[in-house]
Amino acid sequence: MHSAVAHHFESLEKQGQAQRLGMWLFLATEVLLFTALFAAYGVYRYLYTDAFSQASRSLETWMGGVNTFVLVTSSFTVAMGLDAVVKGKNRRTGLLFGLSILLGCVFMVLKGFEYRHHFLHAELPGPFYGGPIAGSGGSMFFSLYFLITGLHAFHVLVGMTVLGVIGARTWLGRYGAEHHVPVELAGLYWHLVDLIWIFVFPLIYLI
Amino acid sequence: MSDHTAAPATTAHTHAGRYLVVWAALTALTALTWGLSTIHIPGFGGVAVALAIATVKGTLVALFFMHLWDQPGPNRLVLITSLVFVALLVTLPLLDNATRFPLANPPDAETAPQRIRDAILNDAPPPAHP
Repeated sequence: MHSAVAHHFESLEKQGQAQRLGMWLFLATEVLLFTALFAAYGVYRYLYTDAFSQASRSLETWMGGVNTFVLVTSSFTVAMGLDAVVKGKNRRTGLLFGLSILLGCVFMVLKGFEYRHHFLHAELPGPFYGGPIAGSGGSMFFSLYFLITGLHAFHVLVGMTVLGVIGARTWLGRYGAEHHVPVELAGLYWHLVDLIWIFVFPLIYLI
Repeated sequence: MSDHTAAPATTAHTHAGRYLVVWAALTALTALTWGLSTIHIPGFGGVAVALAIATVKGTLVALFFMHLWDQPGPNRLVLITSLVFVALLVTLPLLDNATRFPLANPPDAETAPQRIRDAILNDAPPPAHP
C-alpha cells in the first residue's frame, strides 16, 4: 500500500521522522553558514560603529520592511499549503505554493531595485566603494551587506525552485494526506529563509 | 494496529487557525520593530531591543511554522545545538576584538588611538610624537 516507503523503513511514520531529522541537520548547517557572516558583521560593527550606523541610515528602510512583510506572508501561505495537503486538498497546496513563489518574486524585484540604487551611488563592496563614508567602515559595511543579502537572495531563489517542484508534484497528486512529509520539508526550507531574513532586517536596516 | 493511534498525531500539528495567529503576531512585531527604529534609542539599547524582537519572531516561526512545538526531542535538539554554536561563533570573535591591544585592530577602527585614526581619515601623515 505504501509505495512511498523505502524498503529499510518499517512504516511511513518512521520514514517521516528520519526525513525530518535529516532536514533539521541540513538546516543547522545553513544556520551556521549564515552565522559566520553575522559574526563578521558583529565584529566590524563593533570596530566601525559610526560608519555602520551611517551606512545603515542610507538604506531604504521601507524596502527592507516591506520585504520582511512579504517573506513573513509567504511563510504563512506555505504553512497553509501544508495544512491543505494534510487535509487532502492537493490543488489548493499547489495554488498556495504558487502564491508563495509570487511573493518570493516580489521580494527579489524589491531587492533588485535596492541593488540598482547601490550600484548607481557607488555603494559597492571592498575597493569599489565610492560612497561618502571616510575610512574602511563604509566599504566593510557594503561588503557584508552584499554578502549577507546576496547569500540570502540565493537561498530565496533555491527556495522558490523547491516550492515550484514540490508544489507541481503535489498538484499532480504525488503526495497526499498520508504521504505529506516532502511537502513539509520544502516548507521547512522556506521558513528557514524567512527566519534568517527576520534577523537580517533589524541588523542591516534598523540598527 | 498501533499505527492507527499514531496517525492522528501527525495530522494534529497542522492548524490553520494557529498559522493565522502566528502570521498576525509576526506582522505586528515587524511593525513594532520598524516603529521603534524611528525613535533612536541611544547606545546598545536599540540593538538589544531590535534583536530581542527578532528573537521572539524567530521563535514563533521555529515553534509553529516549522512545527518544533510538536516535534520529538531529537529534532528540537538539532536546532538548539546549532544555536549554542551561533552564540559561541558570535561572542568569541567579538570578545577577542574588544579586548585586544588597540593597535592589533585596524588602524582606522574606532578602537584605535584617536590621533592615528584622525591621521588616516584625514589622509595626513601621523604626528611625530605627542
